Amino acid sequence: MDAKTIIESLTREFPEAVSKPEIESEIRIWAYVDWAKTKEVCQFLKDSLQFDHLSNLSGVDYPKRNEMEVVYHIASYAHPVVLMLKAVLSRADPKVESVVPVYWNANWYERETYELYGIVFENHPDLRALLLPEEMLGEWPLRKDYEGFPNKTARNLV
Amino acid sequence: MEEFVGSDEMILHLGPQHPMQPGPFRLNLKLKGETVVDADLEIGFIHKGIEKILENRTYLQGITIVDRICYLVALSNEECFVGCVEKLAGIEVPERSQYIRVIMGELTRIQSHLLGMGEFGEFIGFVSMFMYTIKEREEILSLIDMVTGARITHAYLRFGGVREDLPEGFKEKALPVLNSLKKTIDDYEEMFHTDSIYRERTVGVGTLTADSAKALGVSGPALRATGVDFDIRKAEPYLVYNDLDFKVCTETAGDIFARIQVRLNEIRESIYILEQCLDQIPSGPLFPENTPYGRRTPVMRVPAGEVFHRVEDPRGEMGMYMISDGSDKPYRVKVRGPFFPTLQALPPLIIGTTVADVAAISGSMDGCTSEADR
Repeated sequence: MDAKTIIESLTREFPEAVSKPEIESEIRIWAYVDWAKTKEVCQFLKDSLQFDHLSNLSGVDYPKRNEMEVVYHIASYAHPVVLMLKAVLSRADPKVESVVPVYWNANWYERETYELYGIVFENHPDLRALLLPEEMLGEWPLRKDYEGFPNKTARNLV
Repeated sequence: MEEFVGSDEMILHLGPQHPMQPGPFRLNLKLKGETVVDADLEIGFIHKGIEKILENRTYLQGITIVDRICYLVALSNEECFVGCVEKLAGIEVPERSQYIRVIMGELTRIQSHLLGMGEFGEFIGFVSMFMYTIKEREEILSLIDMVTGARITHAYLRFGGVREDLPEGFKEKALPVLNSLKKTIDDYEEMFHTDSIYRERTVGVGTLTADSAKALGVSGPALRATGVDFDIRKAEPYLVYNDLDFKVCTETAGDIFARIQVRLNEIRESIYILEQCLDQIPSGPLFPENTPYGRRTPVMRVPAGEVFHRVEDPRGEMGMYMISDGSDKPYRVKVRGPFFPTLQALPPLIIGTTVADVAAISGSMDGCTSEADR
């Protein structure tokens, strides 16, 4: 399966939820995805396009655009293409549909992204802090405007 | 885990500090007699905030920081970080440097597997195993030390090359070490195959099937032990791995015994790769010509862009997702370590086994909690 076929069948299946597809190289493709549809899109990718391996899930903060992104890197054991899906969220109320029902190992990635960015994963089975102590929940340390905890002295570093 | 504990049940906390763990994590086990009926994992005891630190350091300083993700595989981490920057900036690495990087990567793989096996032996009560492997590992570390000047945290790779050339007489020093290691690996294999107690502790214990390993996101030797020939060096070749002859080591059983067997075979395969590299390594410059990058990179600005680069770490698939905004510091670096998903898969693996097998199963994954926590 090559990059072009994947993009074509993905945009045919989800003409509205998937936008701005781009082929970077033979093994790297990008697309933007609607935040409410991530689960359906991932389910389709897993069932029909052999994307059976969630390689990475991360959050990115863009305070200048007043947006946040959740980035999924979805790979496959059968073909070498890695698909990068991006969901753009509003910074005021960042939320996205959880993909744990599709990819089991998304569980910890989503918990980690939640505690570091404050991005809420809806319908996640067990959304709580993973790496940080409980009293740090609400500080969102990987956001760009994080000021340090408990001393607010990290301002000059960023 | 559920709060309610029945009359014949008990909760056992394994960790955060426990001699049978590769690093600090807490495993809460709910036991019924000797059987584990529920398990829950807590991590984060050595969270270092490496991703945040990397955002506040220049690219060159970042090399030193990624060493500390897991000191056992520092050169793999560097390879991944440096590879990201090279892809973003479009730097071509000269062939000699690529060969040197492969040599260092494979030496790292050998020493990591050796320590992993030794620790595993300790976890199942075979304490002499640690003494055997640590001796061989020290020989490998001396070779790495000859080149980089450090045993575990090297800061050796540079954008577009490596910091130092191989020293005079490296090949003559390396070949006897590799030859004696070959014999030792045969000895280990014979020991594992004939020791009845070892076989009883490992054969058929902690079994993963290919489908369950894929579903749980496990990678590296634990995945290859189930028969899936997934190796980033073949799936997405980097450096000169395309020109080298090696095979992906797989087993079919998927149990602890198979995982250790995969590691033994991978050490053999790494030795074979090293011999090819030492024979084939061309002479030439370490850095590409006419670039500002070199041994002492000045403050460098990396063109804006995004990249996801993967390398084969001794424990599996290591990836980094790097975003550059055109400044001298990365905008975002997400480290996708191989042990994070593997550790996550531990509770489903140990539910239904006995307490005695818990340490054996978690040890056979060859973990590094430092990398899971970052």
